[in-house]
Amino acid sequence: MNRRILPYKHVLHKLLLATFFAAAATLVQADEIPPAQVKLMAGTCANCHGTDGKLAGAIPAIAGRPATVLEAQLLAFKQGLQPNTTVMDRIAKGFTDAELSALANHFANINKQ
Amino acid sequence: MVLAGERQLDSIGHNYEELKQVFGVKVVHALAEDIDPVAKRVNLSDGQVLQYDKLLLSPGIDMRWNAIEGYDEAAAELAPHAWKAGPQTLILRQQLEAMADGDTFIMSVPGNPFRCPPGPYERASLVAHYLKQHKPRSKILILDGKDNFSKQGLFTAGWQAHYGDMIEWVSLSNDGRVVRVDAANKEVETEFGTRHKAAALNVIPPQKAGFIADRAGVTDESGWVPVNPVTFESTQQKDIYVVGDATVAAPMPKSGFAANAQGKVAASAIVAAFAGITPQEPIWANTCYSLINPDYGISVADVYRVRDNQIIAVEGAGGLSAADASDNIRRSEAAYAVGWYNAISQDTWGTIL
Repeated sequence: MNRRILPYKHVLHKLLLATFFAAAATLVQADEIPPAQVKLMAGTCANCHGTDGKLAGAIPAIAGRPATVLEAQLLAFKQGLQPNTTVMDRIAKGFTDAELSALANHFANINKQ
Repeated sequence: MVLAGERQLDSIGHNYEELKQVFGVKVVHALAEDIDPVAKRVNLSDGQVLQYDKLLLSPGIDMRWNAIEGYDEAAAELAPHAWKAGPQTLILRQQLEAMADGDTFIMSVPGNPFRCPPGPYERASLVAHYLKQHKPRSKILILDGKDNFSKQGLFTAGWQAHYGDMIEWVSLSNDGRVVRVDAANKEVETEFGTRHKAAALNVIPPQKAGFIADRAGVTDESGWVPVNPVTFESTQQKDIYVVGDATVAAPMPKSGFAANAQGKVAASAIVAAFAGITPQEPIWANTCYSLINPDYGISVADVYRVRDNQIIAVEGAGGLSAADASDNIRRSEAAYAVGWYNAISQDTWGTIL
């Protein structure tokens, strides 16, 4: 039994650590980027993703998706790690990691309806 | 897309219902004819006079009539610019439809700056798409007032791949600048005296800020509107904010995407000014898609910020679609071009497409 549980424990431990760092990062970024600033920045996303990132079509909606998923994807775009990217790599490079994290949180907290 | 017969004109029209019904904005359908920046008053064509604390203008562009000899408003009825969508678009569409197979379509393109930098070349692409299907022996001649243009490498590669030698581009240095137009005969003359005759003639003339910018006293000697880059408030008239094609916002292009992004920054700055607080740090993005044909899209993107009181494109970000992108990527970008149009229409007017 123990042998089976251990790997899970290991994963859980990693997840907890990741959550801790994510939370810490959120706190830091919340300190650095005021909400009004994040909102203005998020306006740049609406031109393709629709108002509040809610429009789903050829370009996907981003509202209401988990912050961790959005942030991971934005960072992957920025680092050129997302295959078959068309334009988001070029755009993500214009933002700091803290800004991308703040944007991920912003859109995650919008109700997609 | 309308010129190429891929869309109907009414599909690119929008209304103000969302502004009125969802946001409670009072919309007045009248032309702003004059502005007194000292008394802070706007005179409307219906006789109303409005008083403002802050004024936000989006003047758009006006044509510089007679900057090209012979090209005035009457000439534009015969050789349309079609650079403001509406009746002009339909005149050009009719000329394209009336072309016989083997006829020539000529487009005269101005030097910088002008509305929608890649626009003429995307128009040439989609006209070629139409001609290839219906009049494959026809030619497109682009007479240009400059030596290079937006997304040039991507356009020329796409043209070669899809249209062979149907599209010929003549640069400024190769006598591309049109100086005289004979609209009745659909003839143009370039700087060094070469004359070209078209079956369909599209003259995109040099431009300037829309006339209301002049009336407000916000234009400078260039004919465009200088603004404070952080707020988009006019540098010449306090409490008048100006956004869109009329402004001097380079390196941001004169695009609808940029105008929308500038509107958000200006609105935020106006709110901050009323609240007596420092405006937010501005940031803008621009993505401009062009179609070589309905299944082949290319783009240029940038992120802009203010550094040392200048708008700059963020270094290391932005740029063009890859020159060696696969057909799948081109197809994706064509689909995203449609997605972008739906999104910006929804974000700007509340249009559901």
